[in-house]
Amino acid sequence: MKILEIKNVHKIYNSSEVQVHAVNGVNLDFEKGEFSAIVGPSGSGKTTLLNMIGGLDSPTEGEIRVDQTNLAGLKSSRLIDFRMRHIGFVFQSYNLIPVLTAKENVEFIMNLQKWNKRERDKRTYELLEAVGLKDRAHSRPSKLSGGQQQRIAVARALASKPKFVLADEPTANLDTKSSENLLNIMEELNREEGITFIFSTHDQRVMKKARRVITLEDGRVISDEWKKKNGSS
Amino acid sequence: MIWKTAWKNVWRNRVRSLVVIASVTIGIFGGVFAVAVMNGAIEQRVDSALNNEISHIHINHPGFRDNYDIHLTIPDLDSVMGQLDETAEVKAVSPRIIISGMANTASKSAGVQIVGIDPSLEKSVVDLHEEIIPGTGDFFETASRYHLAFIGQDLAKQLNIIRYVIDEQTISELRESKIPEATVEKLVPFTGERFHSEEDFEKEVKAVLAPGELEQYGRLIREKAWSFSERTRMTLTFLDGDQVQTGAVFRIAGIFDIKNTVFEMSTVMVKKDVLAGLAGLTENDAHKLIIRLEDMEQAKAVSSLLSKKFPHLEVLGWKEIQPDLALMTDLVQQFYAVFMLIILAALAFGIVNTMLMVVLERTKELGMLTAIGMNKKRVFSMIMLESVFLSLIGGVVGMIVSHVLVLFTSSRGINFSQFEEGFEAMGYTSHIYPEINPGFFITVTILIILTGILSSVYPALKALKLDPAEALRTE
Ligand SMILES: Nc1ncnc2c1ncn2[C@@H]1O[C@H](COP(=O)(O)OP(=O)(O)OP(=O)(O)O)[C@@H](O)[C@H]1O
Ligand SMILES: [Mg+2]
Repeated sequence: MKILEIKNVHKIYNSSEVQVHAVNGVNLDFEKGEFSAIVGPSGSGKTTLLNMIGGLDSPTEGEIRVDQTNLAGLKSSRLIDFRMRHIGFVFQSYNLIPVLTAKENVEFIMNLQKWNKRERDKRTYELLEAVGLKDRAHSRPSKLSGGQQQRIAVARALASKPKFVLADEPTANLDTKSSENLLNIMEELNREEGITFIFSTHDQRVMKKARRVITLEDGRVISDEWKKKNGSS
Repeated sequence: MIWKTAWKNVWRNRVRSLVVIASVTIGIFGGVFAVAVMNGAIEQRVDSALNNEISHIHINHPGFRDNYDIHLTIPDLDSVMGQLDETAEVKAVSPRIIISGMANTASKSAGVQIVGIDPSLEKSVVDLHEEIIPGTGDFFETASRYHLAFIGQDLAKQLNIIRYVIDEQTISELRESKIPEATVEKLVPFTGERFHSEEDFEKEVKAVLAPGELEQYGRLIREKAWSFSERTRMTLTFLDGDQVQTGAVFRIAGIFDIKNTVFEMSTVMVKKDVLAGLAGLTENDAHKLIIRLEDMEQAKAVSSLLSKKFPHLEVLGWKEIQPDLALMTDLVQQFYAVFMLIILAALAFGIVNTMLMVVLERTKELGMLTAIGMNKKRVFSMIMLESVFLSLIGGVVGMIVSHVLVLFTSSRGINFSQFEEGFEAMGYTSHIYPEINPGFFITVTILIILTGILSSVYPALKALKLDPAEALRTE
C-alpha cells in the first residue's frame, strides 16, 4: 500500500544573488512498512526533500501526497494539525523540551490531542519501554545522554501513531555505539510493529541497516536500490 | 500542558527571570509607596485644614470676603442659626467676628486677622484647642481679669513672645540629657543670655558648635532653651465700625502649633464678646458662621442646599474656601496616574525585551514544536503565559511588599524632620503617615497584569512568524 507519493518535485531557493535548485525533479513512492535511507553528499538536498515530505516546506513545483492527501491543498493550520496526527519527526538535535521530563516529552502531543490520562500513561510507558528507557521516565533531557535523548525523540515521534516517521540525520551527533543502538531500536519497531521509517544519513553503517537506499546528488535521485530481504547486500 | 510548560520555562533562566521579577517588584513598590507618601501628606493636610482651620462650610454676607468690611455682618443671625440647628446634616455651628488688625509687642509687630469666637461653640467646629503647645496655657479655660488671646507658634516667635534663653537651669537640664559634656561646656559661656529671635539663637549656637554636634543635638538644645513667659502682653489694634483706631492689651491665653506657617502667623483668637465690645458691634453680630457637618463628604450637597435656603448669604463648602486644597486633591489623582503609567511603561519595555530574547534563544525549539504539531494558538499562548507569569509574580510580590511597608509605616509615620521648615511653610507636617486606598491597589494590580499581557503580544507574534524549516536550520 502506497503511503507516500512524490511526483516531479522541485525546490528552488531564491536567495539574494544565487538561485539554488535544491531538489530537482524527484519522483519517489513509499510503501507502508518501509525502512529507507536517503543518502548523498552534503548539500545534495536530503533535508530539503524530507522537510517537504513532512510538510515543513512546500515544493516549488510538483506534488506530495501522504496517503492520498495532497499536502499543498492544506492550509497552514490544517497542515500543522496533519503533521501532529500523521507524521512523526526525529531531528538531528533540539528534539526535546528541556524543561519537561522524558515522560512529559513523550506525552506532549497526546496532551495536545487531549487523550485521557489513563490511555496516555499506558501508551507513554509502552513507548518508553519500547525504546528501553522506562526507568528514565522522570529524567530531564539534560540528564540523559545524546543517544538516550534521540531514543526519547523516537518514542515521542511514535506517540500519535503516525503513518511514517521522518528522521533527518538522527545519528549525526551520536557516537558509533549509540548510533547502532538507536538504529537497532528503530529497526525493531519497524519489524515488529510495522512502523515506516524514512531517514537521511551520511553514515555508512547506518546506511547498511536500511532496506532501501535512495541516493541524491544535486537534488536528483541518482540511484534507488532495494536490498534482498534478510540478505547482507 | 501549555500552562505547565510555560511555568517551567519561566524558571529556565532563573537569574534573568528573577531580575525581571525584581524590577517589577521594585517598580511597583516604588510607585505605590511614593504615591502612598504623597497621598498621606495630602490627606493629613486636608484633615488638618478641615479640623483646625476651616471646618466644612462657611456662611457669610456675600460682600464680606471682598475687603472684610466690618459692617457686613450676617443679617438676622438668630433665625439663620435656628434654621441651621434644624438641618440634620449639621453637627455644630460657631459664629465668628473677623477683623483685620495689628498685633504688637514691645519690640515687634505683625498684621493679623483678629477672630472673635465663643470658645465653647468654637470647640465643636474645629479642634484648634487640641493643638496647644504643652505648658503655654489653655483655650480660654482659666478665668482671668485680663483680655486673652490665643495665637499660633510662628506668630509668637515673630513677636518675640517665644524666645530662647540659656540660664543655669537650661545648662543643668542639658547636662542631664544625652548630650555629651564637651558639647554642653561650649554652651556654658551663654549662661544668662536671652536671644530675641530664633535666628539670633541659631546663629550664636552655630558659631560655637561643630556641624556634627549641631546636626545631632541642635533640636534638643533648641527645645531646652525654648522659653515662654506666661501671660505675656500683646496689643491688638484695628479700626472700629466708625473707622476709628481702637485696640486693647491682651495676654496670651495659649499658643497652638498646627504646622502651618501661614495660618499660625495670621490668626489671633479672642473672645467674641470682648472683640464685639471693642469694635462697637453687639453680641448678636457675626461675620461668619463656621459649620461642622456629621460627614465631610456631604459638604457639597449641604452647601448647595443651604445656599437655596439662604439666598441672600454666601455659602461656601471647604473646596471653595480652600480651592488650592481642592485642586491639590484632584490634581494629584492625575499625577498618580501619570506616575504609575511611567512605571508600567518601564515594566512593559523590560518584559518586551526579555521575551524577545526568549523567543530568539528558543528559535530552534519553537521550530521543533511547530514541526511536531503545536499550532500557532498554542505557541502564542505559551509565550504570553510566560510573560504573564513573570509580571504576575513581580506584581504580586511588589504589591505585598508595598502593602506591608505602607501598613507598617502608616501606623508609625515617617519623619522627614530635615525638611520640616519647607513642609510647614506649605502647610504640611513633616511627619507623614503613608496612606493608600484599596481601590488604587486593585487598579494597579490589574494594570500590571494587563501590562504583562500586552507587552508579551509583540514577542509572541514574533514567535508565530517563525518558519519551522528555517528555524530548524538555524545554528
Ligand atoms: N533556506 C535556504 N535558502 C537558500 N538555499 C538553501 C536553503 N536551504 C537549503 N539551501 C540550499 O539547498 C541545498 C540543499 O540543502 P540541504 O540542506 O537540503 O542539503 P543536505 O543534503 O541536507 O545537506 P547536509 O548533508 O549538509 O545536511 C544546499 O545547497 C543548501 O545550501
Ligand atoms: Mg541536511
